[in-house]
Amino acid sequence: MSAPTAPTALANKFLTAGLAGLAVTALAFGFSENQQAVALAYLVGISYWIAVCVGMLLLILIHHIVDAGWSTVIRRQFEHGLSAFSWLFALFLPLLILAWVKPGLIWPWMDLTHVLPGGHGTVASDILYQKKASFLNVRMFTGMTLGFFAVWIWLSARLRKASFSQDADGDVQWTFMNRKTAAFGIPLTALALSFAAIYWMKSLEYHWFSTMYGVWFFANCIRAGLAFGVMITYWLYMRGDYKGIFNTNQLHCLVALAFAFVVFWAYITFSQYFLIWNANVPEETFWYNIREHGDWVWVGMLILFGHFFFPFIYWLSYRRKSTLRAALFISCWIAVIILVDLCYNVLPAMKDAHDDPLPFLSLHLLWVLTSVIGVGGICVAAYLRSFGTAKIIPIRDPRIRESLTHHEATAPETYQLEAHS
Amino acid sequence: MKKNYGIVAAFDTTPALYQACLQVRDAGYTQWDSLTPFPVHGLDAAMGMRRSQVPRFSLTGGLIGFCTGMSFIWWANAYEYPLIVGGKPYFSPMFAFPISYELTILFTAFATIAGMFLLNRLPMHYHPLLKAPQFVRASDDRFYIVIEASDPKFNPAQTRALLEQAGGKDIAEIEE
Repeated sequence: MSAPTAPTALANKFLTAGLAGLAVTALAFGFSENQQAVALAYLVGISYWIAVCVGMLLLILIHHIVDAGWSTVIRRQFEHGLSAFSWLFALFLPLLILAWVKPGLIWPWMDLTHVLPGGHGTVASDILYQKKASFLNVRMFTGMTLGFFAVWIWLSARLRKASFSQDADGDVQWTFMNRKTAAFGIPLTALALSFAAIYWMKSLEYHWFSTMYGVWFFANCIRAGLAFGVMITYWLYMRGDYKGIFNTNQLHCLVALAFAFVVFWAYITFSQYFLIWNANVPEETFWYNIREHGDWVWVGMLILFGHFFFPFIYWLSYRRKSTLRAALFISCWIAVIILVDLCYNVLPAMKDAHDDPLPFLSLHLLWVLTSVIGVGGICVAAYLRSFGTAKIIPIRDPRIRESLTHHEATAPETYQLEAHS
Repeated sequence: MKKNYGIVAAFDTTPALYQACLQVRDAGYTQWDSLTPFPVHGLDAAMGMRRSQVPRFSLTGGLIGFCTGMSFIWWANAYEYPLIVGGKPYFSPMFAFPISYELTILFTAFATIAGMFLLNRLPMHYHPLLKAPQFVRASDDRFYIVIEASDPKFNPAQTRALLEQAGGKDIAEIEE
């Protein structure tokens, strides 16, 4: 088996779309009267793709730590996805620079002279800021952000090197190296993604407390990684690369994992809401109160039903978990709703003169779209560039045979992905 | 003479059994089974078996569990003995949710186990195959196919011929 033909033309198309998206976003930032709106939209866009890549990273790490068998066929595609991390770092730099050049534009606590609404003085005189000042300051923010990317890029490089090297020499020591990487990589990645969610999103409203926030972001990361995993599977199957490789049982396992995380996300998100609702402490409830203002209440309902109930009920049946088209449909749906969930967490930080959040349906959504296309185009191009450099599956992984014949005795060629009666 | 339960044939290897199952399936039999000492991947499909009906029991159990939790908390706190706790409404799906969720899981588990027992007709203390001494080897090193006399396509001579043609050995009739 040789490496698949590199989809160079496709990669260039995504790269062009990405650059166009970034250019429009940059122009909007330059000319818009509300620069905060464009910056927050960009934060949504880049957080979205970071969630996808962190999800893929976690799925690889979990695969190695539990010595999984079935997921070996799909793992290589996640490894290609990790190549986007260094680009994501480069694309995050504008936000870091903004934090120094225009403090307070995105994260209000960075500007100590920022006046709090309702005659509560400035950030500097706010006791809730003073107590958190050693954590919430621009130096810590910058250092931690550099640290998150250092962790993700370093782990990605180790995982990719070991996996690609094994294709060449078939040495089992690469598998052991990956298992060790997973052992220390999982806590490192978990800490990095939790602090990233706290610094980048939660601290937009620094008065707020929630112990579930890091886990909430983790759940979205895994769901995003799996959703894109199903899309990649569909693409490779339609392209012909996965014919005779990917069978119904692997798809069923992949979607069953995604289904489990539908429930996990709901459990976490409900718990966060329920604990705050039940305790009824003003420092916590205000966060949901502003999200019941204007059209945000409908966004909340869309998340409740679209992020949980619809995928949950749709995926309950075995047939829809093991049919590629049904799996693809809900995966695309989830990929969109994750973006809405990030908007719900980030965009209400924009306030009007009465300290109420600006509505969801507005021109700002356009900048969210250009940011998602901009950052996404670069990420997909990075994936496609990496795609041509290695074989379609880790051909000499010790578990590859087990994965190819997952749950079935006969040759995989006879399987139909579309129909299962 | 006692009633005939069915015809049994023995096979020495997994592939032989697998191929025989394909033939029995394609001959249109529905009331039959294969006995193996260990799980054989892909045998379900070779036997033409459909997906289990147990998930329907699970879903029913789960729905009943969820509704039980919600309605019981509503009945107790808002209807039978209205009580304000912690300044919250008499009833809200918020605080009823954890209990309903737990009951969903509990009733799903009960329904799944009960459905499995029901569909397998368990507990079953007697089975005609237990009378045949050669069947101890079904838990050791031999593979068997049993075609039951209750099958609409069952015909002692033709069924025996099918099993012979499929490579079955020690073909024997089993009494009820």
